[in-house]
Amino acid sequence: MKKKKWLGIALSAALVLGSLAACSGSKETSKSDGGKTQKITYWAPFSGADGPRMKNIVENYNKSQSKYNVDFQIIPQNDYYKTVDLAFSGQKNSPDVLIMHTDQLKNYADKNLLKDLGDTIAKTGVKEGDYSETAWKAGDINGKHYSIPLDIHPLILYYNKDLFKAAGLDPEKAPANREEFLSYAQKLTVPSKKQYGFVVPTLWPNQFIFPTILFQNGGGLMKDGKPNYNSPEAVEALTFYQDLIQKYKVSPANVQQDGEVTLFLQGKNAMHLNGPWMMEQWDKAGINYGVAAVPQLGTKQQAVYANGHNFVIPASVTDTKKLDGITDFLKFVAKNTMEWAKSGQAPASKAIYENSEEFKKMKQQPIVASEFEYSKFAPVIANWGQLSEPLWSEINLALLGKKDPQKALDDANKKAEQLLNK
Amino acid sequence: MKKSKWKSQLTSSLFVLPYLLLFIFFLLIPIGYGAWISLNNWDLLNPIHEFVGFKNYSKIFDSSSYLNDLFFEGLKNTIQFVVYSVPLLIVIGLGLALLVNALPRRIKGLFRTIYFIPYAVSVSVVAIIWLWILDTNSGLINQYLQNLNLPIIPWLTDMPWAWISLVIATLWWTIGFNMVIFINALNDVPEELYEAGALDGASRWQRFIYITLPSIKPTMLFVLITSTIASFNIYGQPFLMTRGGPGTSTKVLLMNIVDEAFKQRQLGNAAAMSLLMAFIMIIISVLQFRITNRKE
Repeated sequence: MKKKKWLGIALSAALVLGSLAACSGSKETSKSDGGKTQKITYWAPFSGADGPRMKNIVENYNKSQSKYNVDFQIIPQNDYYKTVDLAFSGQKNSPDVLIMHTDQLKNYADKNLLKDLGDTIAKTGVKEGDYSETAWKAGDINGKHYSIPLDIHPLILYYNKDLFKAAGLDPEKAPANREEFLSYAQKLTVPSKKQYGFVVPTLWPNQFIFPTILFQNGGGLMKDGKPNYNSPEAVEALTFYQDLIQKYKVSPANVQQDGEVTLFLQGKNAMHLNGPWMMEQWDKAGINYGVAAVPQLGTKQQAVYANGHNFVIPASVTDTKKLDGITDFLKFVAKNTMEWAKSGQAPASKAIYENSEEFKKMKQQPIVASEFEYSKFAPVIANWGQLSEPLWSEINLALLGKKDPQKALDDANKKAEQLLNK
Repeated sequence: MKKSKWKSQLTSSLFVLPYLLLFIFFLLIPIGYGAWISLNNWDLLNPIHEFVGFKNYSKIFDSSSYLNDLFFEGLKNTIQFVVYSVPLLIVIGLGLALLVNALPRRIKGLFRTIYFIPYAVSVSVVAIIWLWILDTNSGLINQYLQNLNLPIIPWLTDMPWAWISLVIATLWWTIGFNMVIFINALNDVPEELYEAGALDGASRWQRFIYITLPSIKPTMLFVLITSTIASFNIYGQPFLMTRGGPGTSTKVLLMNIVDEAFKQRQLGNAAAMSLLMAFIMIIISVLQFRITNRKE
């Protein structure tokens, strides 16, 4: 039966680990090495439109020299960390270098699975100064340095220029703070046309939006290693966010998963907060959209929540020839990530985002890069995914009008504390 | 004589062999391995697996542990889905079978195919189709409701609508399977019984109650048990359509187990939860079997 297949997937995934570990690794081999070249296996979760971009970079690198051959393997995003975990736990078929998200670094660093790059970097000249400070600092965990940044992807603001014009607003000028954002949103809301100023999502990407408003209020998600979801700053942030639906009515109620994206695509949602990866979807749909830095929706400071892609090396890689090859490759990537920028992302390498004229002429990417300075990542704590789970489901309830912000955040905090004391 | 008997036994064993091998390698060994994992403190990232006996199981029953919430809240939601979906899966499946069977022979095949097609579609496609139909603000149904000046319905973001939506999507997806099974059973009911019933003056309804239902009882039991097991294994529909929301009201047990295994990397706990879930399913199936067969 069809649904039995789901049992199959779930249970066999949970149970048949051994065989999975053996076969899931070496699927997509792009090139086999011939002769004396040193082979370097490189894993990434770029199964979307960004995959071909990275493939081009790797192919260009392989053509540019003959000493090393990088074997680039894409693992579907949904299975990525599963596959990485199995490779790490089996210590076989494991890659020599791989992509890891910033919010995952701590989990692996704590278990001593990643190579401390302190010495490798000092020797070969992949230097701190060549990258965005924000991105580089994210690799400092437990007094060691574990990662080389590829990009930072913070939240950004997309808006519909046609709707701006129709509402008598300047389509080249996005709102910069809470007051402007609210007045724009109200002007852009036309109930008769079922058009809304800012459709509030109730699920994803609140994982990016809520922390952004909270950070802008000067608050934080954790305090002294404990969840701090119900601070006054957090309650203020969620109250404002909920008011967009209930008080200001610039958003419809009961928005479902991706409902705000559908409305943005249909030209019925004037402003939309999401990540840089949405660009290709808007381009394909042919919307006349603008991009801007996230307005300061909080009360204290400019800040934005972000995640990032980083290169890491498993601790088990000790062959110096391989390590030299990896460093050589990473140096090449830092100088040649223009190709990566084409997917909408802003590379964290200064050679691109500070010095490339071609990059500065792009529409979205320089705006993403302009947020680097005040980007903030998830709290550096093991199992942030699990610890944050109650927060997202309680925010969901608050935005659906089923709980008031204070109560929702109190409940989320209580559940998270229970998880921490397990 | 003796020799040929031995030969036929060998032949039949050979026929069983392929399934037996598949059963051993893809079911028995993984289940055994899973049972072993459930007795260890098995962190995916930790190469050392410490044997802890039944501690993972006792944690599930310890009310101060987060596993207790994870398991029993998930179980509560899963059971709700089973209770809502199984009666409909049977009644509507049988109803469709009766309808299709009453059609003229020439278009019977056509309608059987039409009702069966959704069953061949994958769950992600089912979820996308229903997300578009049910979208609160831009979905098909709510557009119609608005045109009729009726209030729109929050199909996926409010209770009990979220359950209703999940049950509707599941029915649309899997009802064809039950229907086909019922059609076969209906065809096996001897025509003479109906003729005799009609001669004795039994109405259509009486013929259905006293002839059709008792005749298809074994099939009914089969459909009941497979539907219950299938509904217990619900995962894809809430995972893709409601993401467990509103809050965690539709977060079913399998979603929690997968989270525990691959988000938290606690395979020991997840394996214990899976086996406990399987155990509950076995008990329910046995009970269903016993209760339905009691009278005979």
